[in-house]
Amino acid sequence: MPWYRQVYDWLEHRLQLEGPVMEAMVHPVPRKTASWWYVFGSASFVLLILQVVTGILLALVYAPSAAHAWDSLEVLNHQLPLGWFLRAMHGWGSNFMVAVVLIHMCQVFLFGGHKYPREFTWVLGVCMLLMTLGMAFTGQVLRFDQDAYWGLGIGASIAGRVPFVGGQLVHLMLGGPMINGATLTRFFALHVFVIPGALLAFTGLHLWMVVKLGINEWPMPGRIVRRETYMKEYHDLTHTDGLAFVPLAVWKDLFFSAAILLAVAACAAYFGPFGPKGAPDPTIINTVPKPDFFFLWLYTVLSYLPPNLETPFLLIVPPIAIAFLIAIPFVAGIGEKSWWRRPVAVFAVFFIAVCWGAFTQLGTYTPWSPQMHAWSGAPVPEKLLVNRTPLERQGAVVLQQKQCRNCHELGGMGGQRGPALDDVAGHMTEDQLYRQVLQGGGNMPAYGAALSPAETTALVKFLTTLKVNYAPAASDASRQVADADTGTAATGAR
Amino acid sequence: MQSEVSSRAKNVTRYGCLLLAVSFLAGCKLPGKPKDGPEVPRPEQVLSFDELYAANCSGCHGAHGEKGPAMNLANPEYQALVDDASLRDIIVNGEKGTLMPAFGEKQGGELTDAQVNVLVKGLRAKWGKGDVLSGLNAPTWKATHAGDPAAGKLVYEAACARCHSASGSQPSKGGSILDGSFLAVVNEQMIRTTVIAGRPDLGMPDWRSLKQSGPLTDNEVTDVTAWLMSQKPALPGQPYGSAAPAQPAAAPANKISGKD
Repeated sequence: MPWYRQVYDWLEHRLQLEGPVMEAMVHPVPRKTASWWYVFGSASFVLLILQVVTGILLALVYAPSAAHAWDSLEVLNHQLPLGWFLRAMHGWGSNFMVAVVLIHMCQVFLFGGHKYPREFTWVLGVCMLLMTLGMAFTGQVLRFDQDAYWGLGIGASIAGRVPFVGGQLVHLMLGGPMINGATLTRFFALHVFVIPGALLAFTGLHLWMVVKLGINEWPMPGRIVRRETYMKEYHDLTHTDGLAFVPLAVWKDLFFSAAILLAVAACAAYFGPFGPKGAPDPTIINTVPKPDFFFLWLYTVLSYLPPNLETPFLLIVPPIAIAFLIAIPFVAGIGEKSWWRRPVAVFAVFFIAVCWGAFTQLGTYTPWSPQMHAWSGAPVPEKLLVNRTPLERQGAVVLQQKQCRNCHELGGMGGQRGPALDDVAGHMTEDQLYRQVLQGGGNMPAYGAALSPAETTALVKFLTTLKVNYAPAASDASRQVADADTGTAATGAR
Repeated sequence: MQSEVSSRAKNVTRYGCLLLAVSFLAGCKLPGKPKDGPEVPRPEQVLSFDELYAANCSGCHGAHGEKGPAMNLANPEYQALVDDASLRDIIVNGEKGTLMPAFGEKQGGELTDAQVNVLVKGLRAKWGKGDVLSGLNAPTWKATHAGDPAAGKLVYEAACARCHSASGSQPSKGGSILDGSFLAVVNEQMIRTTVIAGRPDLGMPDWRSLKQSGPLTDNEVTDVTAWLMSQKPALPGQPYGSAAPAQPAAAPANKISGKD
């Protein structure tokens, strides 16, 4: 008997693992579940392992202190061979993990996998989703740059709005009333010990139940889940039309997981690591902090909410959403599994996906936010200055210098908070422009106090030149009547 | 059979080695590898002229120093006319009486002294062509004495009126520069600079060819500038015609600020 066989036998004699493991491996699964639709759970698990491994390697170098964290990331990026690649793998791994977990969740929901007897598997899965998002947020904080700093500020101010205990919550979260040296160590402990520990434990339980209760069978319209008969039906299905999980079903899981790992590596190699962006110094005000990809939708929603709805939204909607997710298998734990017979479920998934996509897309270019450097950094398009009088050209300088550009686009450059001005003279008369500039209105502040009469005139004269060539300028019919009445040519002379 | 297997094995090894070498070479310059230095440097550490110009100057002076609404910086004559100290002073403190704001830190701007120096050096390097004015007997950049408006009126008619119109109310090729609002947002120095250096990007010639009879003299430039500034009305920018200042209702800007 070879030596390794002897070692194995010695260990097996004491561990007694071979029986249960073999049983789990070759347990029969319904033939149709050996499908490419059933690979996302295992891929999530593989990504979790990737995150643990790359995370351990990063922790060897990372310094969880407010003074040194950013520097240690720079060391990883620039001084350690392939340190940047390690950071990129961990960063892209996290993006992929959030995405694959969400896809897994949608797939399970659409396939009715949350129904009897797998309700608790679903509940654990919801907890694991929250933990995954928790890992994403705490990870974003550990990448201690400007985004992390201000993101943390937002997180703390959300916590601070909780009635009665808000202050204590902020204190607990930040290790003090404000972001300080203790903050980062707290998030380090959460990101490295608390959440991953719980996540691994939950993953173990989740898998245990998958093995014990069996993989959700392929839903067929008309095959109704009943508590009384389901277990027997499932048992019959796996034994009449089943195949061994290893190797007949598992190869697709392995193949897909490998492809996902390769995709992570390819993204890491091609796009590189995320940041760190500017140093986390609150005295640097020239920054436009943004959350990471998976929180962009929240950023958008909060930007568009009226201020008086922010607190109710932040404090009421998340608990309701979580309660709703947890309640799903208890409300709809039996009955049809097939998506053909569950239009509400299908609609809900697509509705949420479309909303999420739209909010995320808006979050990438933040049309609600002024671009604070457009006034000095976005040139006035040359074609808007051709054949303009000296006064109109000075009007363009007023437009820049008074920072109108920060909210108004010209030639596709500038802020999008207000309307683009390329065609403003086509729909506003000179008088309307004066009024708008001086008094503001429609979400625009009044600039009357900030502009001299000469500057106002110059600005409006420039604005009246902004229209497309083939279209007439906006006109005020009453003006001609008034001119004819008084017989003045004063308005014409201007 | 044996040889076939071994040759296949050799092939596999050969391709394997090739693949390894390629991936190793690619590994040296993978596109994702971060560039040197932090991705976002501290604002005061930005010391590249192109970045500083694009972020702070291009809005008014144009992406390439020309065809913007403000001064034509890419004009070599302008670069030769203004000395380093004055250029630095304009950037740091702004130009009083015009719309050029102060960019120096102490004046509430965002640029450090080092960054202003980079801008001054870069402007020279990019658009200066040395002392292109030497030997041309050009007027000095700063006026040496006060001008005579009465003499300036004649200079205006001889040198400026053919493009900018004699009265300001007639349409003209270059547009009126007698408009009260225009005169209120520029200052004497800016007009002087423009008269001397011209606006080649807009087709306005320099002091040498404004007048058909020959170059403007230093005195003529001083006089015409003085006359132009003397045309600035007491209450510039009244929207409803020149008769309006007598009627307070026609001055919306004053009304608004009075309300505050």
